[in-house]
Amino acid sequence: MSPRISPPPPAGPGSAADLFTGTAFDARPARACHGLVRRMPEGLAAERIAERLTAAQRSGALPADLRLWVEDVAAAAADPAAEALRAREAARATGHGGRLRAVLLRYADGAADLVLVAHRRAVDSAGLDLVARVLAGAADGAERLAVPGDLPRHTAAEAAPPAWGLGDARRAGTTGTVRIGPVEIASEPAPVLLAATALLLSRYADRERAVGLLTVDRADRDRFAAVHLPVDDGTPVTDLVRQAEAALAAAAPVGADRPVPAVGVVALSGQDEAYRPFLELPFPVTFTWGPRPDGAFVGRLDYDGAALHPEVAEQLARHVGRLTALLGAKPADSFGDRAPVGADVELLADEERAALLALGRPQPAPARPATTVHAAFARLAAERPGATALSDAARELTYAQLDEAATRMSAALAERGAGPGTFVGVCLERDADLVTTLLAVLKTGAAYVPMDPRYPVERLRYTTEDAGLRLVVTALDGFPALDGVTVVHPDALAGSAAAAPEPADDPDAPAYVIYTSGSTGRPKGVVVPHRNVGALLAATAEDMRLGPDDVWTLFHSSSFDFSVWEIWGCLLTGGHLVVVPYWVSRSPEEFHALLVRRRVTVLSQTPSAFASLRDVHLGQERPLALRLVVFGGEPLDVRSLELWFRREPHDRCRLVNMFGITETTVHVTTATVTPVEVAAGSRSVGTALPGWSLSVRDARGRVQPLGVPGEIYVGGAGVADRYLNRPELTAERFVDDPLTGERAYRSGDLGRLRPGGQLDHLGRIDDQVKVRGFRIELGEVRSVLLDDPTVSAGAVVLNQGDGDAAGVRLDAYVVLRPSGSVAEVRRRLREVLPEHMVPGTVTAVSEIPLTVNGKVDAARLPKPDQPPAAEAAPAAAPAAEAAAPAQAQAPAEESLADVVLRAWRATLGPEVGPDDDFFDLGGNSLLAVRLSAALRRAGLQSVPLRDLYLQPTAARLAEHLAARQAAGAGAERP
Amino acid sequence: MRLSQKTALVTGAARGLGRACALRFAEEGADLVLLDVAADIADVPYPLGTPDQLEATARLCRERGASVLTARADVRQQKEVDDVVADALDRFGRIDVLVNNAGIAAPSGKAVHEITEDEWGVMLDVDLSGAWRTIKAVVPSMAKQRSGSIVNISSTAGLVGYRYFAGYVAAKHGLIGLTRAAALDYAALQIRVNALCPGQVREEPTLEGRMLSEVARSLGVAPEDQETAFLESQPMNALVNPEDVSSAALWLASDDARQVTGSVVTVDGGFSTR
Repeated sequence: MSPRISPPPPAGPGSAADLFTGTAFDARPARACHGLVRRMPEGLAAERIAERLTAAQRSGALPADLRLWVEDVAAAAADPAAEALRAREAARATGHGGRLRAVLLRYADGAADLVLVAHRRAVDSAGLDLVARVLAGAADGAERLAVPGDLPRHTAAEAAPPAWGLGDARRAGTTGTVRIGPVEIASEPAPVLLAATALLLSRYADRERAVGLLTVDRADRDRFAAVHLPVDDGTPVTDLVRQAEAALAAAAPVGADRPVPAVGVVALSGQDEAYRPFLELPFPVTFTWGPRPDGAFVGRLDYDGAALHPEVAEQLARHVGRLTALLGAKPADSFGDRAPVGADVELLADEERAALLALGRPQPAPARPATTVHAAFARLAAERPGATALSDAARELTYAQLDEAATRMSAALAERGAGPGTFVGVCLERDADLVTTLLAVLKTGAAYVPMDPRYPVERLRYTTEDAGLRLVVTALDGFPALDGVTVVHPDALAGSAAAAPEPADDPDAPAYVIYTSGSTGRPKGVVVPHRNVGALLAATAEDMRLGPDDVWTLFHSSSFDFSVWEIWGCLLTGGHLVVVPYWVSRSPEEFHALLVRRRVTVLSQTPSAFASLRDVHLGQERPLALRLVVFGGEPLDVRSLELWFRREPHDRCRLVNMFGITETTVHVTTATVTPVEVAAGSRSVGTALPGWSLSVRDARGRVQPLGVPGEIYVGGAGVADRYLNRPELTAERFVDDPLTGERAYRSGDLGRLRPGGQLDHLGRIDDQVKVRGFRIELGEVRSVLLDDPTVSAGAVVLNQGDGDAAGVRLDAYVVLRPSGSVAEVRRRLREVLPEHMVPGTVTAVSEIPLTVNGKVDAARLPKPDQPPAAEAAPAAAPAAEAAAPAQAQAPAEESLADVVLRAWRATLGPEVGPDDDFFDLGGNSLLAVRLSAALRRAGLQSVPLRDLYLQPTAARLAEHLAARQAAGAGAERP
Repeated sequence: MRLSQKTALVTGAARGLGRACALRFAEEGADLVLLDVAADIADVPYPLGTPDQLEATARLCRERGASVLTARADVRQQKEVDDVVADALDRFGRIDVLVNNAGIAAPSGKAVHEITEDEWGVMLDVDLSGAWRTIKAVVPSMAKQRSGSIVNISSTAGLVGYRYFAGYVAAKHGLIGLTRAAALDYAALQIRVNALCPGQVREEPTLEGRMLSEVARSLGVAPEDQETAFLESQPMNALVNPEDVSSAALWLASDDARQVTGSVVTVDGGFSTR
């Protein structure tokens, strides 16, 4: 008998085949239920209670189908075993259409409890109370309990957990509790609680999130609703509660057809120990409030581990308590009538703010006397004169030789005007001369201004003029001639007979000026003093065990401050610096060969460059001597390291991710990356370097709570002096921080702080782009791109189209592995990303072009490929066909069915109709695979074979796919 | 507690292996629905479980902390089974585990051609079709939960032949077939279906089981002789204890076996591998 894969039996109304159609499934029935436990009067026999039930049913007071279950408990009422049983009974949801359950627990000592559990929408809290009173004989007989015949279906969908919660999906299902209050609430509590929660969300940068609200009021009606109350910063405090009242009136019931809000409030009208407003958290983050006998409100926060980190939960409870107290009292008293919530409501207590600032400020490194770069080098040269300091393709210099050469050259430079307070341009290829020259400049007391000889002439001219250079060392014939600027060849400096100047030794003097372009405005020179370089090494040398046995590369252009780390990190710790010629740095194969040949131990790379190197390394056997790789210059997607770790264990070669900014001296944070971080997909860039400090601030400069995104402020030993000749910009970005009393640099980067003081880097603030009204993080899209196993490198850029807002789209560029295809990448993006985040085009390139600094060079990316028409997803409204983006939505509904049917016909024959059953048509597993491929070729999401079995007609499959796409797009809408 | 917050329905729960499973599940935190015919059946030549025995199982479960619903029902009657399942869902809200344990060992002791229509009929109706009926009854609720574990108590007689037990052997073989097919039918719904094949189980007085005695009686030998005969053919030289079977049932019922479906687990001291 040949195996035949059978479809589920044809579905008829009410037939067992309905089981397979699948939408009737509710994973969390307990969420929709509440319960009441009431001790029955002493001596009241179960038989008597049953009689009361029958009588009440006869009179119509209680529904006819209510049964009383009697459970004999083999323990006394106060026995822990009985307690456990009672708790279990009271937490047991009604299921499968059950609306109300009554269980009488008869204990061994004669006591009895009535346990009532009901579906909230069938019987409210007043109803539960009524049932308990009727059965206990305490009702007057006039009240009736109406139970609806049909229950609206409870949706199992749940809104995405808040990003600021820093929850851990691996802790889903675990719960925690934090107590809140007491606080005074002078008016109607529900609107106050709602307003406080909405205000909280707005301050947590999550103002569009709906708030769940469950009110339990025996005098009135219970309510279980999702409320939309976005709070604007400008809203007067006194208006907020009124707005909440209005929003409450307009709220939609939870569970009808919208997801359960992730954050919600339960407002109880009284404290009743026996009443359980929910059997399972109604919301992943649930605030429950109720009045004490003295009228004050006490609250508790219950949360799911997937939604909140315990420390964020503690913080949240404090903040919601503070805001509730604020709004519960008469806000006008403390704020005046029109005070806006954004400016005047302080979320953090002083000690909380101090704790957050302390969290971003690790123990400083052991103090070392501040010194200059060249003095530190001279000391090393004196200690170990014969050790190799520097080599390039042609030469090798010992510490003594390098020191001597630089000293000679410094004399020649001094002759030409270099000295303390001056800036000397250095525009040299990457070779030993470059390093010698930089050291020579420092020895004169001047600061060096590196320029990459590959920069356009205009850029060289700009830098020279902007920095006011009088002296430039270059081997470049075409260096722009400028009035008053002496251009000198390094060879002309080697043979000076002049006496070297007495080395200036002012640690506060500028050591270098590096130009950064930034995303807006002209490039500006960042002036970094000697002291900062020393601090950088004090912060890292011990932790990274930098020392004389290390061999470093100088891989990066001297105009990129990563080179400051490479050069001085090596030469001030006694290592051997191997200068990588430019052409080698451009070829991952050549560079890999160099690393092998020179037995390099310490490597600094941008993640983009490392990705290519990794691929080369994984493709061959030759071993590397690397013991430390430092990532910098770009956000690191740790997932790109998974394959690397399979070859190079993390305990042999340590990988350190460092987030840094030129304005704060190369690095700010450090995070060692291990397979654990890779598995967790960590976005953390780690903690601040000792001596550095960081904090996350809102637009007003206020410290953001844990988890809440804001601008990264950096203070401490790395903060640069200034932007050269740009006092306004300097004043704007280098600020005196009133909260810490120190100078801080406002980075323009978006981050959030974790409970351990680790920083999550979330991209540039201006990296947030808007496409068709949706706010999108390019980094997030890129991250999904890199998740694709067939993609080895990727970039995402915003394409402004031709100025028409409808033409704005994202373009993705990918380097594919041999097995990959653009269509597959596109399909996967559509599967994972909400529609508005799916790049309009995906273009395969052989490599992602990098700037001279090793970062993605958007300007050199090719024109994007337009997707072939056949691959366009009809329902996904690809912006690439931007000709008619506005209409893309409407006809999509119709054409999806057509596309699906076309695929069916291509697979199963031209006669196939939309309602023909796949299996009746002779479909089998092979044809199912073919059909799935045909659907994929048509640009649709992947169709798991199981879906095909469960939706065996073209029409049903199309419906199913449409529903899935709608669900996917809806869930992520901000 | 491997079955906390789970509800298990056990058929044939008045005594024997059904009771053993029920008690074991109660110890692991489950609430129980205990089903038994608790009456004698025409054509079955030995006394079946009684209402008192069923209540005794319930009492023992309660002493282990379980909430219990007892139900007298005949697995030969779909309506009776359906009613029990409806009550169980009303009482407990869900059924997570079904143990199809109800079964009869006799009428047996005859060669194939000697078996009467009625004898053949009752054997298959209880031992095979009974399991099919309870599966039909519980699967809709398990489907809605997208979870469930069904354990069909088959036998080594579901794997090998026994002389003079054709009806029983056919029914228990059939039960394994039912298990495998149901496992495939419901895999997509996260409902697991497995078969458990005990060898000859020792009779423990506290469980009041009669299987071994009835097998012996059908063959016209004394129970001790049957036991000795079995021991000699048993690689591990020991009869299976009831708790050996209930442990395996517990594993199949629990989430520990979350990837196990359609499997046939033998607990027979190696008997069927010979």
